[in-house]
Amino acid sequence: MENYLQELEKKSIALIREAKAQFKNLAVLWSMGKDSTATLWLCKKAFFGKIPFPVIHIDTSYQFPEMYQFRDKIAKEWGFNLLLAKNEDALKNDMSPKKGRLECCTKLKTEALKNLIKERKFDALILAIRRDEHGIRAKERYYSPRDENFRWDYKDQPAELWDLYVKPSEDFSHMRVHPILHWTELDVWQYVKQENLPVNSLYFAKNGKRYRSLGCMPCTVPVPSTASTIDEIIQEIKTSKTPERAGRAQDKEKAYMMQKLRSLGYM
Amino acid sequence: MIILALDALDNNYVQKFNCKNLIQKEHGQTTLKGFNQERTIVLWASFLTGKNMEKEIPIKTQWEFKLHPEQTFLKFFQKYKVIDLPAFSYKQQNHEKERKLLKGYFEDKVTVEEYESLIWKNHEENKKEFFKNLGKFPLLIGYFNLADAIGHLSFGLTEKMATVYEELDKIAEEAKPSEDLILIISDHGMKAVGRYGDHSRNGFYSSNIQLGLNLPEITSFYKIIERIAKNEFS
Repeated sequence: MENYLQELEKKSIALIREAKAQFKNLAVLWSMGKDSTATLWLCKKAFFGKIPFPVIHIDTSYQFPEMYQFRDKIAKEWGFNLLLAKNEDALKNDMSPKKGRLECCTKLKTEALKNLIKERKFDALILAIRRDEHGIRAKERYYSPRDENFRWDYKDQPAELWDLYVKPSEDFSHMRVHPILHWTELDVWQYVKQENLPVNSLYFAKNGKRYRSLGCMPCTVPVPSTASTIDEIIQEIKTSKTPERAGRAQDKEKAYMMQKLRSLGYM
Repeated sequence: MIILALDALDNNYVQKFNCKNLIQKEHGQTTLKGFNQERTIVLWASFLTGKNMEKEIPIKTQWEFKLHPEQTFLKFFQKYKVIDLPAFSYKQQNHEKERKLLKGYFEDKVTVEEYESLIWKNHEENKKEFFKNLGKFPLLIGYFNLADAIGHLSFGLTEKMATVYEELDKIAEEAKPSEDLILIISDHGMKAVGRYGDHSRNGFYSSNIQLGLNLPEITSFYKIIERIAKNEFS
């Protein structure tokens, strides 16, 4: 098992170093979940203990209090440059999931990040997505070019043969770099255990439920579970048939479909 | 002549599910060049008139939009039967109920099963009417919205969509022995959004005679149908 995790880690660290060498203005996104915290750890390891680029938290102000506590604690202990992407204008105008989940996500996540990218002129972002999270993510590449509206054309992506990750020559607004794309949920938890990484308390079961994926409070629901330690979580994932994002993903897709059907005049 | 008007039948999925009867002598993808949106009523109205009707059909009142036969290729036929085709003989009540349940699903008031049960009921009604009229008219148009209506809530569920495509393939199979000219056409295609389905631009067409088309527009069929009606097509 150690060898297997070492192989995963080796590839991820190579991707992170490659990104740092290829892009002038790189940053890493951190949602305080297990995947992005493991990715931060990989960034630390890649550069011998010090993350040499900013860490971005997209702060919607609707995340769990435990997540904000975790953010402040880790930022202090690991000593990186934390930047907040926050759409203050939308929050002043009372933007919340009550106004529509898709609209809320667009304003508080997408636009907040767009503004920060524009302001700080980032040309690449490291994201902790994994292919096994969702069908659409299975189509992702390690290097994923985005236009200024964050659009991604999965049918038109740079080839990644023989582990060569080349910047496409065409115009793109910024590049997404996915160093843990090849990991699974189980790999992440086993790595968390091996490296003794800090994890948010929300992941551990209380009263028969735990959060398997973290997001904004109004839009995330816990899943039934009795796993209250990392070992128990690993055991649970090995036998679970519930999708990891069962408490989250569908809402977003449902909201998208509702909006789309409205625009076509169905509703 | 028989026209099977199959809402949201996607060219890629007809191939994927190997629908042997939907795929005829000539078959392929249609293009929606010139259309901003893949609106069902607009596309079927454009099919019937041979003109892009996007600007003429406002979204707010689109479901009530109805063409006069003189505005369509139907004027070239002495007799015809058009079952449930949007913009012409659309069964308002049936589809209004469908849209009501669809809305109810997104408001968490209706289950997928309740919605689908109505869709299949309306589908069976159209199917019965279609086969009852088979061979009785020089032109018979049967409209089936199964792929669209089921697809919007379940296009990402491959097994369910395979059943839907199988059902439409069976209709094509049963319509074939009439030895008529059969044109199968969809208004647009569909793509998966998680478990859901969104309109795509991969529409489908097929014909049991060689038409010599290459990526036709939905408006291209007007002239062809006119020539068929006037016996000019060899």
